[in-house]
Amino acid sequence: MLRRGLIVAAVCAGLVCAQTSAAPAVLVVKGDVANQLTLTAADLTAMPRSKAMIPDPDGTEVEYEGVALADILKRAGAPSGNQLRGDALASYVLASAHDGYRVVFTLAEVDASFANEKILIADQRDGKSLFEYQGPFRLVCPGDKAGARSVRMLETLEIVRLKK
Amino acid sequence: MRPLCASALSALALFAALSAQEAAYDWKLPKGFPKPFVPADNPMSAAKVELGRYLFYDTRLSVNGKQSCASCHRQELAFTDGRAVGVGATGELHSRSAMSLVNVAYSATLTWSNPELKSLEEQALVPMFGEHPVELGLRQGGKFLSSLRAETRYASLFARAFPDERDPYTIGNIAKAIASFERSIISGRSPYDRYHYDRDDSAVPEAAKRGEVLFFSQHISCFRCHGGFNFSDAGFHNTGLYSVAGAPAFSAPNVGIYEHTHEPLDIGRFKTPTLRNIALTAPYMHDGTVATLEDVIDHYAAGGRAHGTTNKDHLIGGFALSAKDRNDLVEYLESLTDDQVIHDLRFSNPWQ
Repeated sequence: MLRRGLIVAAVCAGLVCAQTSAAPAVLVVKGDVANQLTLTAADLTAMPRSKAMIPDPDGTEVEYEGVALADILKRAGAPSGNQLRGDALASYVLASAHDGYRVVFTLAEVDASFANEKILIADQRDGKSLFEYQGPFRLVCPGDKAGARSVRMLETLEIVRLKK
Repeated sequence: MRPLCASALSALALFAALSAQEAAYDWKLPKGFPKPFVPADNPMSAAKVELGRYLFYDTRLSVNGKQSCASCHRQELAFTDGRAVGVGATGELHSRSAMSLVNVAYSATLTWSNPELKSLEEQALVPMFGEHPVELGLRQGGKFLSSLRAETRYASLFARAFPDERDPYTIGNIAKAIASFERSIISGRSPYDRYHYDRDDSAVPEAAKRGEVLFFSQHISCFRCHGGFNFSDAGFHNTGLYSVAGAPAFSAPNVGIYEHTHEPLDIGRFKTPTLRNIALTAPYMHDGTVATLEDVIDHYAAGGRAHGTTNKDHLIGGFALSAKDRNDLVEYLESLTDDQVIHDLRFSNPWQ
C-alpha cells in the first residue's frame, strides 16, 4: 500500500490534478453578449422545452429533454435570425465541459434561419435526471453523425466574436 | 428448370428451417444489449448450447484426460483462470493469460493478438489441436471421438443438437457446439447495469458514481478504449508495458498483432479486453504482469511502465489522481461484476 500511495503522490506532484468532482449545478453563459447568464436547473425548467433522440455509445436510443441552445443564446443577447449577417456570421459558441472538453458551434448553425439542427441543452434523460458523468446539463446534437459534440457535463457557453 | 427449381426450393426450405431454429433460441438478452452475430452455418439452438456445455466441461477433450476448456475458463472467475499465463494439459506454460469468455459473442476478433481470428468455431480448434503451445493436446484422428461415442449421455445430446446428421460425432460439430455455448454466456446484470439500464440509483455506491465521472473524464478517458455496452472498442492498443527498442522489450511470441501483420507500428498492440467482471479476472494485461486493479490504474496514471522507444498509444499519456480517486475508479470497475453470470446454472459444470 505504501508503494502505491507513493506512486499516486508522485503522479499528483508532477501533473495538474484532474478535475474529478461532479459538475456544478449551474450553466454559465458568458462572452461577447449583452446578458451574461448563470442558469440553474429551475431556470431551464421554466423555459420552453423540447425533446430529441440520440443513441448512447452502446447504440441504445435515449430520449433527452431540455431547452433549445438557440433560445439560451437569444436570451443572452447573441445575434439571431435577421441579425445573423456580416461580422455576426464570424461568431461562435465555445462549449466547455467540467473536465475541460471543448467544442465549437457557429452561431449560424444553431439558428433556425440557417440550419435544421435543433441542438438541446438537456437536463433529462428518459424522464429522469442525467447520470453524474453526463450532467447536470449536456448538449444533445441530434443532427450530428458523430456524438463528439454532444458535450457531457456542460459547464459554460462562451460567445466569441472574431475580431480579426 | 426443374432441377434448378428443386434446388432453389430446398435452399429456401433450409433457410426457413435455419431461421426457425435461430428464432426459437431465447438469448435472454439484458437491456441495452444487441443480438449477437451468429454465423449462418451455425445457428443457435438450445440443444447445441447444451451439448456445447457438456463438451466445454469434458476432460476427455484433452490428451491425458486432465483438462477441459473449463480448466482455463472457470465460471467463478468470469471464465478466466486466475493465473498470469495459462498452463496446458501437459504442463506447458503459455505465453499469454486466458481471456474471459463472458460476452465473447460480441468480440469482433478473438484472442489477445490475432486480428484475423474472428470465428469462435475456428478458435475452438486452437486449444484442442494447437501445438504452440500445447493446450488440450488433442490430435486429429485421435481416440477422443470414440471416447465421446462411448459416453451414453452424448447419444441424445448430439442427436438433438444435430438432428439431420446420421453421424453427428465430428470435430466440426464439436467446435460448433462449443462455440454456441460460448456465445450463450452473456453478462449484463451487474450493479452497473441495474443503475444504468434500470435507473436504480441505489444499485451502486456513491464512490462508483464518482468513479464513473473519472472513467468518462477528458483527463483519464478510460472510455476511449473501454467504451460501449461491453466496455471494449474491439481495437488493439500498445499500452506501454514494454519498449520496442531497449530492454525490457516486447519479445516473441508476445509481440502483439505484429505477429500477424508484420507492421513495425503494431509491435505491442494487444486487444482491448472487456471490463465487465474485471474485478474477477486478475492478474491483468496479456501476460498477467499487473496484479491488481489498483496497479492497473497506477500503470495508466504513470503513462505506462516502458522506457525508451515505446510505440505506445497516444492515449497512454498519464494523468494525476488522488488515492480517493483511484479508490472510486476501482469501485466503479467492481460495479461491473455480474454475480448472476458466475452462478448461473446454465453455464455451470453439468458433469457434477
